[in-house]
Amino acid sequence: MVDIRSRNLKVKVAQQWENFGMLFILVLILAIFSSLDPNFRTVYNFISIFKYSTFIAIGGIGMAFCIMSGDFDISVGSMLAFVGVLGSSFIPFIGGVGAVLSTIVIASILGFINGIFITKLRIPAFITTLGMLYIFRALAYLYTSNVPVYIENKFWLYIGNGKIFNINFPIILMLICYLGGYLLLRKSPFGRYIVAVGTNPDASRLSGINVDKVRIIVFTLVGFFVGISSVVVSANLGSANPGQLGQGYEFQVITAVVLGGTILGGGNGSLGGLFVAALIITALKNGLSLMQVDSYWQDVATGLVLIFAVALNRIRYTLLGQRE
Amino acid sequence: MRKLHILKLALITILSITLVATFSFVGCAQAEEAVEEVEEATEEAVEEVEEAAEEVEEEVEEAAEEVEEEAAEEPITIGFSVWTMEFTFFQNVEKGVRDACEDLGYEYIMIDQNADPTKMVQDLDSLVSQGVDAISVTPVDPGALGPAVQNARDAGIPVVCADIGKSGPVNALIISDNFEGGQLAAGYLDELLADNPDNTYKFGLGNLQPQWTYARERGEGFIDKSEELGYEIASEIIVDPPSAEGGYDTMQQIISAAPDIVGAFFSSGREAVGAAQAVEGAGEDIYVVGYNGDPEELQAIEDGILAGTILQQPYVIGYQSVEILKEILEEGAEYEDEVVPAPVKLVTPENLEEIAAELEERRGQPAY
Repeated sequence: MVDIRSRNLKVKVAQQWENFGMLFILVLILAIFSSLDPNFRTVYNFISIFKYSTFIAIGGIGMAFCIMSGDFDISVGSMLAFVGVLGSSFIPFIGGVGAVLSTIVIASILGFINGIFITKLRIPAFITTLGMLYIFRALAYLYTSNVPVYIENKFWLYIGNGKIFNINFPIILMLICYLGGYLLLRKSPFGRYIVAVGTNPDASRLSGINVDKVRIIVFTLVGFFVGISSVVVSANLGSANPGQLGQGYEFQVITAVVLGGTILGGGNGSLGGLFVAALIITALKNGLSLMQVDSYWQDVATGLVLIFAVALNRIRYTLLGQRE
Repeated sequence: MRKLHILKLALITILSITLVATFSFVGCAQAEEAVEEVEEATEEAVEEVEEAAEEVEEEVEEAAEEVEEEAAEEPITIGFSVWTMEFTFFQNVEKGVRDACEDLGYEYIMIDQNADPTKMVQDLDSLVSQGVDAISVTPVDPGALGPAVQNARDAGIPVVCADIGKSGPVNALIISDNFEGGQLAAGYLDELLADNPDNTYKFGLGNLQPQWTYARERGEGFIDKSEELGYEIASEIIVDPPSAEGGYDTMQQIISAAPDIVGAFFSSGREAVGAAQAVEGAGEDIYVVGYNGDPEELQAIEDGILAGTILQQPYVIGYQSVEILKEILEEGAEYEDEVVPAPVKLVTPENLEEIAAELEERRGQPAY
């Protein structure tokens, strides 16, 4: 009896950790910084943490799908820069709305090309996207002759800086993206295919899922969300700089996805976890910056939180008596 | 507190005297009762005094807190956002800003952009949320300043750029006179070549990537003055990657492209040192002039490898940025999108010692 009860307790703790573990870490971080620094606990600052978490959070949705399906895309930072400079340069010809839409479409096409290379030419995703990491960045340099594109279009700038009822537009955009991502992952058959392909591609193939098609669509979605992020980031900066846009973005996004509880080997994952993880990363950097901690120590802190969170996830599996 | 103790003592003494006096007036039998009464009265009185004292203490503490709060609102706070603290140049800008704040009695907050434009924008936002009174920024990507600066200005916070460049509605940009620096370099090379034995009039030019406007202006100044003095720019190559090694490679390419050049100008520091070493390695007789005044350059001038350099004065730029903010904040001066040139200096083997001493005094550490 006692044994079963304690086992039940373990299972409960583990399940609750799965659902609320990241939220707990976020609340902990917010509480610590709020008690240490009065400048941290202002409404303005909380809103700005939300606003800046959108960079990682939106791009992370596609990456979460990608990692769940057992793949990887490290070209997202360069892709963000390339579509940013390309799309923003269209503004004089097709206007703000057209340029924003074409940025997202071009990014989706680039993602689609990644998917084709990976599935049809059978080049591993890591190699393909590593190659694309160089190619997209170089194309961004070549296209602009290394001169940044300055963005003055009102519509484009609004996407990164506008407000609706005092809520920053990127936050609203992020919520819409998450709603879409959630519906796709949990309420559509396609979401189940992603998880199935990530868990066991061979079994998925045998059960009649068109694995290649799923993977191509996943890479297209990565591009789609990178396109949206690209507009948000470049609008926030007021320019698209081929050399500096999206530097290190791939690792920030992958960090958020992994911190959010998605397993690197593929399989199930959590968009809610990703969302909270993006907030954790941003809040951590914001808090440490406010407290004047050296920026290199901030990276140390982000690294430690990542390792710590993944270690806690392992404890969860130990409690459940499962293997990953 | 001590005063209150004295009060208590005085009260007890007075009561004791009263006690003694009572003894002398009444008989012994009555005295015992009287003693009890007086003792009670004394205790009550002491309690009352203690209560009163506590109240006073609380009031004083409250008042002190209020005074402290008011005082905390008083001093002006300057926020400084810097490209990176990795390079000597930016460390010196930072020192200038910090020293100026100290001299003017301002509070000072520094945030490192870590060479990331997205972080720069977030940092500027977080300076606004901390309620700083003014911002000085050395931007990693001046093109990315627009919305962030607008946001700060909307909150009534003036923003000046200390070096690099500007965009958006900044109040002012304090920057080295890069064009003049390039001209100085050409003029100096001309002086060195006064008795030009080969009678050739060709220079090489190693430029930085064109997105860095400030560096481009150095090259333009150099070309302008060179042509005025009758020289031809025989080879112009962009240094890639921007490093000492990049400078070395670029100089080798310049020498192969134009073997008969007599002088070369590199528009940044470490790159110029690399270039000068390439000249040494090739055994050529070409004067190389750099730009920045990095410690590596000063060392190379002392070693006789580098002919000279154009010294930027990052410390002065940082210091000046705070002075301009002071004018805006305290004197209501109007600055809107202005460029304030900061002086540059030519460093040669002749004046190296003097300049190094000056730099050391300012930075509190050896110049090289």
